Order: sequence, then structure tokens, then C-alpha cells
Amino acid sequence: MRSLRLASLLGVTMLVFGAGAALSAPAQEVVFTSNQFTPVTEQEWARNTLLPKFTEETGIRVQFTTENEGPYVDRLLAEIKAGKGTIDVTGTLHGIFPVFIASNAIADMTPVQQRLDARRDRTFFPDLLKVSKMEGIQAFVPWMQATYLIAARKDALKYFPAGRDPMRMTYDDLLQWGESIKKATGQRRIGFPAGPRGLYGRFLHGYVYPSFTGSQVKRFKSAEAVEMWRYLRHLWGVTHPSSFTYEFMAQPLLLGEVWVAWDHIARILPALQERPNDFVVLPSPAGPKGRSFLSVIVGLGIPKTADNPDLGERLIEYLTRPSTQVITAQGVAFFPVSPEAAKAAPTGGLKVVADGVSAQAGAPDGRTALLPVGLGARTGEFVPLYVDTFRRVAIQGEDIQKVLADQGAKLDELYRATNAPCAPPDPPQRPCVPD
Amino acid sequence: MTIADTEVLTGAPRARVNWTPYLLVVPTLAFLSVFFIYPMAQAISLAVTDPSTGALTWAHFRRMSSDLYFGQAVRFTLIITAIAIPLQVALGLAIALLVNTRFRGHTMFLYLTALPIGISDLAAGMIWLSILTERGYLNAALQRLGLIEQPVVFLTVERPEWLLAAIILTELWRATAIVMVILLAGLQLIPKDYAETAAVFGAGRWQTARHVILPLLRPSLQTALIIRTILAFQLFATVVTLAGRQIPVLAGETYFWYSLYRSPSVASAYAVLILLLSASITWIYLYVFAPKAGEVRL
Repeated sequence: MRSLRLASLLGVTMLVFGAGAALSAPAQEVVFTSNQFTPVTEQEWARNTLLPKFTEETGIRVQFTTENEGPYVDRLLAEIKAGKGTIDVTGTLHGIFPVFIASNAIADMTPVQQRLDARRDRTFFPDLLKVSKMEGIQAFVPWMQATYLIAARKDALKYFPAGRDPMRMTYDDLLQWGESIKKATGQRRIGFPAGPRGLYGRFLHGYVYPSFTGSQVKRFKSAEAVEMWRYLRHLWGVTHPSSFTYEFMAQPLLLGEVWVAWDHIARILPALQERPNDFVVLPSPAGPKGRSFLSVIVGLGIPKTADNPDLGERLIEYLTRPSTQVITAQGVAFFPVSPEAAKAAPTGGLKVVADGVSAQAGAPDGRTALLPVGLGARTGEFVPLYVDTFRRVAIQGEDIQKVLADQGAKLDELYRATNAPCAPPDPPQRPCVPD
Repeated sequence: MTIADTEVLTGAPRARVNWTPYLLVVPTLAFLSVFFIYPMAQAISLAVTDPSTGALTWAHFRRMSSDLYFGQAVRFTLIITAIAIPLQVALGLAIALLVNTRFRGHTMFLYLTALPIGISDLAAGMIWLSILTERGYLNAALQRLGLIEQPVVFLTVERPEWLLAAIILTELWRATAIVMVILLAGLQLIPKDYAETAAVFGAGRWQTARHVILPLLRPSLQTALIIRTILAFQLFATVVTLAGRQIPVLAGETYFWYSLYRSPSVASAYAVLILLLSASITWIYLYVFAPKAGEVRL
């Protein structure tokens, strides 16, 4: 109730000020929404560094709103339902676009892409363009990409298993690393962002599951999965017990509560920027089925109800320009989608990240996993299924097989109800159900 | 003729309706209908209808009650309410009585104790997180004093009772002041004569407080309890900050079902449950605190 009251107050204030601004400034304005850049520092960076350059150049003001996934998706869908919209450009994860397509909410970006290609000043990585095409249209123009990695304090490396290479780390190495730190210091110094808004769920379905079973969904209940959950129980034993409050690992890393942390690069970056000489970035570990990692792709789309699609297209042109991509990588560690921008040499904290990224992406045993698509309005239920499984197995200590049978049945129901296909590394069968 | 005239004269003002009070409540009513009653009706309808067919269904309530966190959320919400509120009322009453003695510097003391009212629950959670975390102020102080060698991890899943204690401590710090302010206002409404009369009849300080002040304070106590209990069912930000989802609470689950699972229907089911709980507890308070026959009320 209270937040509702606050929201309405905010709404009224915005109306008053918005109306005032419209009367005084007839300048052109483009409305840009996203569920990326939600952390305050990233929002500030977008408003003070990224977007003013565009306004300077074109005279077009950008009204940028970033919200968490729920309200973000709802606002766009509500505009579509109303048949009248304000949002001109929207930028989000490629896994969200199927939700929009299901409501016939976004325009086909093929003509925009053609006009961008005709400028001949940028190209896009072909695999990203491939991902942007779904349900017969191009849903988005690739904007940025990201992944998740391990960051560690340099002085924690002396506890790394002797004779092993951290740049080629396995899950066993990680566990042993945590165990020897615990033995030497009495403390559990491995950390995961297992807080309510943390991204630990991504570790479960995109990293450890495919690395142990070669699958995100199909082999959910397999013998390898049981083995993996046993491993995670051990790993939890050397994981910092406050991990359930962590949402961004930069903070506990800087405080020294955690020495080895896994997280989204953008959420580790503040630590590296503050003390680039104290940390190393390592690839995610490899399991029996390879070194699986998630490739996060963020794209830009134009809603069908956009008021100013032309201005929106100009903003897309600016955001995907190679020089803007370089600024974006330096500011928030989202990596370029164009080879032209990827050539720029990173410095400082970003150099540390780039080394880790290339060690992960270039590893001979590397396996790319993608976020699931096609779950439509029920997309939000996928990740919590894995996190709940973790809670029951590792924290509440329930029987692994029983939990996997329960949770597997829910996964089965979710995929059958939405008739969604498997995401890589699973084969693209539809519906994707656990064996 | 004259009699008829007077009848008309006295009858006329009686027939005229005084619209001023109604006009004065119209803005409030309009505000409440737009921002409370309408969203409430919408939430109830979301909770009981199937989003695709629009038919009536209990499916969202079934989904809510079969969820992993549901039982724990109900339990922890009730536990926190049952422990924190009596403590808050007792502490609030003690501070209010103390301030009401008007000792030297009592205004300064009042401002200091009322300070947490101005702090949002999220900020309060952050403040206590920075105190209680492994590298927080408490551990730093204990280490400085030489009481511990290694920092103690207070906020750990292995000790849910510690997490609970941290939450209750934060709630006490944050919300006792509201109870105190309401009770202090009530105390200041009680004329001094009552206490003086009691003293004349030889009542001690404790007897006066127990048999004179407390019964007269009943309306304020009722208000304080209703407000605090309703707010306790909405408790969310402090819990999430200090304990993540290890201590699930009802309002937190409402938020997670909306923003994490993207299921407005199940979130609404939780909201309806919170509404029912708050309404029934308020009703109990009103019933328990109803004035008995022949009782003096101020």
C-alpha cells in the first residue's frame, strides 16, 4: 500500500513537471526504456555520459527510464493493450523479446537493420544477428553483450590448488580452493550473488548444469545432475554464509568478506575500477561436460505503438555506433557487438575483465549456453525453479532425487504449457522437457 | 397565524442540509477511491480470475499455498509481529511516560528518540546491515575491544534465529518511535487532575499508572496497535536487506511473485491474504478495546 501511495505521488509529480516541461520546451524528445542499467551507478552513467552525447549531436532529448523486469515489461505491454504508446525505443535481454512478440508488441527491425548496414560504418557479429531473428522477424538490433565470470583477490591465488592453472580452472579446483582458504583462515571466502535480486540462478542453469550434464533442461533429473547437486552441497560448505544477502559481488569483494566471487561482469566491475591491481578475473570453471558459460545479448527494438519511431531509429544508430560501443564497454563493461568496436584496446579494470572474457570464450572446452526463449508470459518462472531446487537441496538438506523429481515435474509443466523449445546447449526440440 | 409563523421559522433551518462537512470529505473520498478502493478491487479481481479466460478460479490461491516459501512466510510474519509489537508497545509506553514527566532536556530527548520515524525502512535495513555484516561496525568494535579475534558472521543461514533477532532489533529501532509519539499525544490529553486525585487517595506512582493512566490511554493504545500491526504485515524492505529470502515474509513474497515470477495473479492472492489478516486483527483490536458499559472516555 505504501509503495502504491508513493508511486501515485510520483506519478502526480511527474505529470505536473512533465506538463511544465512540455509547455516550455518544444524540443524533440525520444522515450527510451530498458531493464538494463538498473543499478544506480549505471543509471547515472547512462544519463550523464552515454545519452547527453546524443542530445548534443542531434538536439533530441532522451527520456530514459530503467526498471526491473516486471514493471518494465508491464509498461510496454500496457501501452500495446491501450493501442497508444509513448515508448520509442526499448533495450532488453534477447530472452525478453519473445514475450513482446507473443503480444505482437514490437516492430520488425529488418528495415532498420538494412539502413544501418547501408551506412557501411559498422557490422555486427553474425551469431548475434542470427539470435536476433525469431518468429519470422528480426526482433532487435544487437546492442551490447555480457557474460558472467569469476573475480578473485590476487592474494587469494596462493591458496589455489598447486600445479593447476587458474585460467583453466575446473569445478573441482574451485571447491579445493575454497577448502584450502577455509583450512588456512577458518573462513568461507567463496561468494555467490544468492540474494533475492542476485543472479545466482544464472549460475545454476547456465553454468554448472551444462558443465556437469551438457544440458540446461533435458538432463535436469539425470544421474550427472544428482552428482552435480552433491558437488554444490560441498561448495556451499565453503561459500560465505551471508551469500544470501549478496546482490552485487563488487561490494563484498571490496570489503574483503569474499575473496573469490562469481557474478555478471557489470556487477563485478566497480571493484575492478576501484582497485584494478588487486583483483584478477578468471573464466568460469569447467565440469565433466565442458566449460559452459552464458552469452547475454542485449538488443534494441521499437514498439509498434511508438510515437516517434524515426527518432527511435536515430537513437539506435547512435547506440550501436562502434565509438559508442567502446564508451559503453569502458563505462559499464557491456561488450561490443561489432568487430569494429571490439578491436579497441581496453585499459585498467576493463583490461582485467577482457582477459578473463577471452580466456572463457576462447577456451578449447568452452560451450555457449543461451537464455531460454519462448516461455512467453511465464519467462519469470524459469530461474526461480533452479534457485528453489538449490534451496531445498543445499540449504534445507532434502533428498536430491526427490527434489529433482518434484522440480522436474514443474519444469515439465512449464515447457509443455508454453510449448517452448530448448535453449542451447540442449537440442532445439519443442516442447523442451526433462528426460 | 402567529403560531404557524413560528413553526415555519423554527422548521426551516432543520430542513436545510448543511453540506459543508460533506464537501470537506469529498477530496479525501475521491483520493481514497482512486488510489485505494479501485486498486484494491482490481487486486481482488486479479486474485480470483483466470487471466486468459476471465473465469472465477481458486488456482492462484492454490498456487500460493503450495509454494515453497508460503508456509514459512506466514510463520515468520506472525512470529515477527508477535515478538516485535509487544516490545514496541512496552518500549514506546515507557519512553512516552518518561518524556511526560518533563524532566530537564526532555524535548531534546524526544527529538532524538523520534528521529528514526524519518528514515525509510530500506534505509533502516541498510544501516543495520552495515552494523551487523561481517565487516561491519559491530565486529570492528568488538575486535577493537579485544573481545573477539576473528569477525563473527552474524547474518548466516545456519542461524535463522540470529537473522530473526537482527530483523526484530531493526524494527524496534525503526518503529518504536511511532508508537511512542501516538502514546505521548494520548498522555498529554489526560488532565493532570486524575493523577492528582489518585495521589490524594494515597495511590503510588505504579498504582496511578496501572489503574488511572493506562485505562484512560486505551484509545491511543488501540490506534498505536492497529497502525503497528497493519504495518507489520507490510514489513518487507528491512527483512529483504538483512536476510534476503532466508526469512520469507508475506509482503516480500507478494513483491517476488510480481517482480521475479511475473505473476500478478499470485501476487494479488498474497495481497488479499495480507488484507484479510490485517482486517481481522484490526477487528479483534476494536472488539477487545471496545469501551465497557459505564466507562469514562476522554
